This record gives sequence, C-alpha cells and structure tokens, in this order.
Amino acid sequence: MGDILEVEGLSFKYSDAPRNAVSGFNLAIPEGEIVVLAGPSGCGKSTLLRTVNGLIPHMYGGEYSGDVRVGGSSVKGSNMRDLAQSVGFLFQNPENQIFMFTVERDVAFGLENLGVPRNEMRARVDEALGLLRIGDLAQRAPHELSDGQKQRVALAGVLAMRPKLVILDEPTSLLDPRTASELVALVVRLRKELGTTFVVVEHRLDLLMGVADRLVVMEGGKKVAEGTPKDVLFGEEVGTHGVAVPAVTRVQKMLAGEEGVGVERLLTPSELAAAVEGREI
Amino acid sequence: MMWLSGGFIFRRGESFYHRLDPRTKLLNSLLMFVTSLLARSVFEMVLVIAFMVGLSAGATVLMRVARTMTFTALFSGFIFVVNIAFTRNLDTSLLYAIRFIAIVVSTSLFFITTSPDELEQVMRMFRLPRDVVFAFVTAVRFIPVMMLDTIQIMDAQKSRGLELEKGNLIRRARNMIPILIPLVVNSVVRSGELAEAMESRAYGAVPRPTTLMAYKARMTDIGVALAAVALFAVAAYSFYFVIPVRFP
Repeated sequence: MGDILEVEGLSFKYSDAPRNAVSGFNLAIPEGEIVVLAGPSGCGKSTLLRTVNGLIPHMYGGEYSGDVRVGGSSVKGSNMRDLAQSVGFLFQNPENQIFMFTVERDVAFGLENLGVPRNEMRARVDEALGLLRIGDLAQRAPHELSDGQKQRVALAGVLAMRPKLVILDEPTSLLDPRTASELVALVVRLRKELGTTFVVVEHRLDLLMGVADRLVVMEGGKKVAEGTPKDVLFGEEVGTHGVAVPAVTRVQKMLAGEEGVGVERLLTPSELAAAVEGREI
Repeated sequence: MMWLSGGFIFRRGESFYHRLDPRTKLLNSLLMFVTSLLARSVFEMVLVIAFMVGLSAGATVLMRVARTMTFTALFSGFIFVVNIAFTRNLDTSLLYAIRFIAIVVSTSLFFITTSPDELEQVMRMFRLPRDVVFAFVTAVRFIPVMMLDTIQIMDAQKSRGLELEKGNLIRRARNMIPILIPLVVNSVVRSGELAEAMESRAYGAVPRPTTLMAYKARMTDIGVALAAVALFAVAAYSFYFVIPVRFP
C-alpha cells in the first residue's frame, strides 16, 4: 500500500510567533497504520496536525515551507472542501465540535455542508451511527450525553464524511480509564473494518502501545524519534524528551539495569504479567 | 422568572401538535397573532383563546400555557385598568386586555412545541443566510454549556473567598466581574476551537447546504392550518365588513 500521508521538509512559523512551531519535519505514513504522535506540550504536535487537515495554511497565516501531501495531493494546493473529505479531525474537546441539537443532525453536519443529497446522507449517517454503536442516541441532545458518548458522536460526524485519514488529538484526555480503553478498542476495530489510517496524539502511551504500528516523538518542533513502539521505547531514551514512558517499559528497563534480567521488550501489562508467570505469550 | 420562562422553553413531546410540520406551527401562531389584532369583539377574542387552549390541551402543554396565561393576566389587568380609566368603555378595555393574553399564548404555544432543530429548519426554509442561521444555532446550542461554565466559575471563585451575595447593589455588581472575565475568556477560546472544527467539517463548502430533515404536510397539518385560516377569515371579515373600525 502507498503512503496516505507524506510530510517533506515542513517548517512553519505563526505570523506572530518568534520562532518556528515545526522545523524541517519529515514523515511518511502508509495507508491503514495506527500512528501515535507524542511529545511534551508546545512541541508542535497541534501545528503539525493543522498542516495535515489544511487549517494551516488555509485558516492560519504564517511562514510555510516544505510540503504536506494527503493521498498524493498537496494540502497547500487543495481547498478545505476536498480536505474535509480526505482528512477527518477529532479535536480534544468533543463539546466544541458538536454543533447541532440532536446527535443525528450533528453527524450529518459535514454532509449537509457538502451538499450531499438527503437519501445518501441518511444512509451515511445511519452507517456512522452503526459503526460507533450509538444508534440509540440519534435523537438525544448534546447536553444529555456523557463525555464518552460525546466523543463517539464527534467521531461519528468525522467518519460520516468517509475520510481515508483520521486525526485524533488527545482523544482520551477528558475520558475516564475505562472509556479511554473503549475508545482505543474502537480505533482498532475501525481500522480493521474500514482500513482507515489513524494518527493519534496521546500522552497516555500505555493505552496505545499494544495497538500502534508506529510511534513518533516530537520535541521543540522537530522529530526526535520514530519507529515501532518497541524500537522507540526500548531503543531510545524517550523520557528525556518529555514523554511519559509507560510503566511496563520502565519496569522492564529497571529489571534489565539493576537486576540484569533480559529485556523482552513487552508493551502491555498483560504481556508482562504473562511473561512474569512464565506463560507462553 | 424561571416559572415564567417555562412558558416559552421547548420540551420534547410526542403529541400530534409536536409532530406537526414546523411551518404549520409557525403559520398557526402567526395567524392567531394577526387574528388577535384584527378581532374587534370580545367574542372573537374568546374564540381565538379557546382555539389555542384546545390545541394546547391536544399538545399536552395546557398546564404550561395556563401558567403563562396566569402571569400574563397581571399585565392584562393593568391594561384593562388603564383603558377603562381613559376610554370609559368596558368592551374596548376588555378587548385589549384579552388581546394581550391571546398574543402571548399564540407565541408561547409555538415556542414550547417547536424544537430548536425545527426552528433552524424554518429559518433555512425562509432562505435566511447560512451564517445568520448558524449564529442562532450556536447561540442556542451553547446555552447549557455556558450555564455549566458559569456554575463552575462561580463555585471556583466562591471557594477562593468571593462573596457574591454580600454588600449593596453596586458591590454585588462589582462582585460579578471575577465571574464574567473568565466566562468571556472561555467563550473566546471556545469560539476559536469551534471555528477550527467547522472548517474541518466543510462549513461553507457549498452556497446551499442540504438537510437531513424532511418535512411533509400530513392530514393533521392541513386540519390545523384550515382551522386557523377559518378563524382568521372570520376576524378579517368582521374587521372590514361587520364592525366599523373605531379607534378610541
């Protein structure tokens, strides 16, 4: 499969900022991958994501150099209408991306804006509600929903536009641990069922390391590490870049360093527990 | 005040009136509004109110409409007293007093049975500019969110020693500043995030967006509309042909 996202030598400086928010950034993401983007606050993650869905340079002005291509088309040369259909964006706070008075109307919001005919719209809204398993919420008002439900509604609105690439910006930051785990399971299911590519910005790495294909670490607007989660977490000192290393990794590193125990490079608590008990994994 | 506002706030319902096409509800309320203005006899006014009360009962919102009527009756009484003092005409004074109740009830019935979603649809049907309709949608949609924000800010400021209920009127007004500033800042931040989310979902991509909602006139729509038109016709006929127009 080809690359759905290609970032080549991207640099961007906001017009009122003293320095670049992103500098000389390169990245290529093959179709169907789940990629986790990590880094401390202010490292340029949000800016990078805005360049992928076109908010930069179409909404935010500044000094832009390099190129970002989605599905082979340059973001700079595309309009927001086309980009909205190829890149879905789930923002951190779902409250601020639910516009309408009922769930089904909100899921239809993007399709209405695109002028999709009613019959097709109805089918796509029902499909998105079904994928997220929230058909029973269709007539509910946003203020009647929990945070987890709001997150699902917002994601349904994104998926109804059938994007090839979906960006999730800290999707679990407002969720309790159980709902956060459910969201991760949902991402895995959607990737399997739809073949969608996901780029997830996440601070709680332990949630996603078992399912991610790739981990990219940013600091100071630059990429400081990239590879499979195992290679990055066990091969690099990502903790020094302001990333919260998962407890599972830390335990194994401690065992390797202090006790001389061979590191098996396990990513999830269940894998570690099974290894400790001497079971086959 | 909350008690009164209940007479104008929509609550979901399953009655035949709730299920009417929003255009029928608007037409009915507008016609009753105009009929109230045209009616020149107490009998016609009573007919209008009886019609609205009947619809309110069918819409299972009679108690809420009655609450509005009770409150409105206070103002109506005032209108009656002022009129009788100046005109010395019982019929005219009674007519004006009842007219005020009829106008408020016709407006109230529309708002308590029409969801914001339907209001938005009506605005779109009248070809209002998309930005104007969306400004209305956003304003109504975020009322509960802003209320929650306000409560949280008030709690946070109270926990830091702010005494909202103390002092004279000026002091109390000044005490609201630590509530209002964070609320405004929150709203500005929220509006920025909203703008990004709108762009990401193709807002403004086509000049005439489509809609998921489909409305079709049914027998109940036709029945209510016909009854409203008939009442309006009676009032219009008597206004022009039966009772000469007299202005006190």
